[in-house]
Amino acid sequence: MKDLAIRNLSKTYFDPYAGTNVTAVHDVSFTVKQGEFVSVVGPSGCGKTTILNMIAGFLPVSGGEIRVGGKTVTGPGPDRGVVFQSFALFPWRTVLDNVAFGPKMRGVPKAERERIARDYLALAKLSEAEGRYPTELSGGMQQRVGVVRALANEPDVLLMDEPFASVDAQTRMTLQEELTRIWQEKRSTVLFITHDVAEAVFLADRVIVLSKGRVLKELDVTLPRPRVWDALHEDAAFKALTGQVLGLVRSA
Amino acid sequence: MTALLHLWGGYVRLTARWPVIATLVPFMPVLALWWFVTAIEVFPRVFLPGPADVARSFAALMYKGILPDYLQDSVVRLAVGAFWGTVLGIPLGLLIGLSQRAHTALWPLLLFFQAIGDIAWLAILVIWFGYGLVTMTFVIVYTVIFPVVLNTVLGVRSIPVNMHRAALSLGASRLRIVWEVVLPGALPNIITGLRNGLGYGWRALIAAEIIVGTSGIGFMMFDARRAGSVVEILLGMIILGILWYIVDNWILAPIERATGQRWGLVTR
Repeated sequence: MKDLAIRNLSKTYFDPYAGTNVTAVHDVSFTVKQGEFVSVVGPSGCGKTTILNMIAGFLPVSGGEIRVGGKTVTGPGPDRGVVFQSFALFPWRTVLDNVAFGPKMRGVPKAERERIARDYLALAKLSEAEGRYPTELSGGMQQRVGVVRALANEPDVLLMDEPFASVDAQTRMTLQEELTRIWQEKRSTVLFITHDVAEAVFLADRVIVLSKGRVLKELDVTLPRPRVWDALHEDAAFKALTGQVLGLVRSA
Repeated sequence: MTALLHLWGGYVRLTARWPVIATLVPFMPVLALWWFVTAIEVFPRVFLPGPADVARSFAALMYKGILPDYLQDSVVRLAVGAFWGTVLGIPLGLLIGLSQRAHTALWPLLLFFQAIGDIAWLAILVIWFGYGLVTMTFVIVYTVIFPVVLNTVLGVRSIPVNMHRAALSLGASRLRIVWEVVLPGALPNIITGLRNGLGYGWRALIAAEIIVGTSGIGFMMFDARRAGSVVEILLGMIILGILWYIVDNWILAPIERATGQRWGLVTR
């Protein structure tokens, strides 16, 4: 099983302005099982992005261990796909070439990797845009490309760092619905970082509430799928759960 | 007022159809003024010849074959120098931009040697290499390389860190990233560096030809001074301007349109 297991993870760094060591993450442990969608929610400065950057291999860990499918993480790698808040698409590549980038790095022949890319673009309803450059697209479309670019490389775990924080509210709801639809189809293992409580609950099987670098609480979300906003807005269970998470985040 | 606007609108439409008009029209007043000043003979003709005299001189030198030869010499020198300046400058810039160690080791040297102007090297170069292509090439390479290196470093450093991270997470090796991310990401800055470098190189070439040349446009101008032929000096100056316009418009601008502008990294 390709689980993502985090054991006693901590991160301490030296703050050159304060002249002291700052601990951003204290002894965090949790597991994301294969095919599970887990949200990590918490206020800014709670260490959630630091945790994601360590899982992605962008930052070294100070203590503890991160394992993907039993293998300890030592640096960035294609087993962990990342979707960035800033999209981080390659502006000099067309949409198709952006999505085909991962397979290209794996040495997949051109025709085959373009077929893969086209399949994933169709999944996100982006087929029309395949020949365009990222800057010609709206923010919402750019992030759709960001998501399928990561998925097309078939990672064991998909790491999403506040991916919808920089698109407008209406587009964000559409993207959230599309993400749950795509996730149900592909059953990827997802770790989703956000500060938006409703988003965390809407998307996930489980919500981890983070506060001051520690896990405050883990809550299971048993709402039925497929999830759509029109149905959930007035749903009592959804409201109760978001209320509970919001209370935890605000008390944090 | 409306009539003027209509006229302007017509001009804009005309230039959209024939871009060459947009290039030529701004020179008309300059030409007219030049012609007028020489026609009323504010200065003696020998000191300031008119446009017609320069055109005649152009035709004569073309006919004798001197001008095509000199032009070719100058352009080949610039091309050879620019080629080596680019081939050496871009990798050096990538290295300094990517490696903190290389930056620490090379940056002070770069600033020191940048300060010694290209022309300042001429004295010693003539002793070492004589009055030939090597001296010329050295001077141009020396002029081209600094703007290329400095702008490449700037370009490499302005690539968002998430671009590197995205490529690493998609399975690219560090070496592969240089080709797939760093080079295209830095390209708009590299082109700016090339544009500056070629501009400086062009000037350095003329200076070098004046001092050590035995042919070329710079040599022609300085040779004309000895014969007191102002007409050829003016002709040389005009050719310099036109050649640079051609290089910029036919080589650099199309590259820029096909890369940075196409990708939305540079505004039109």
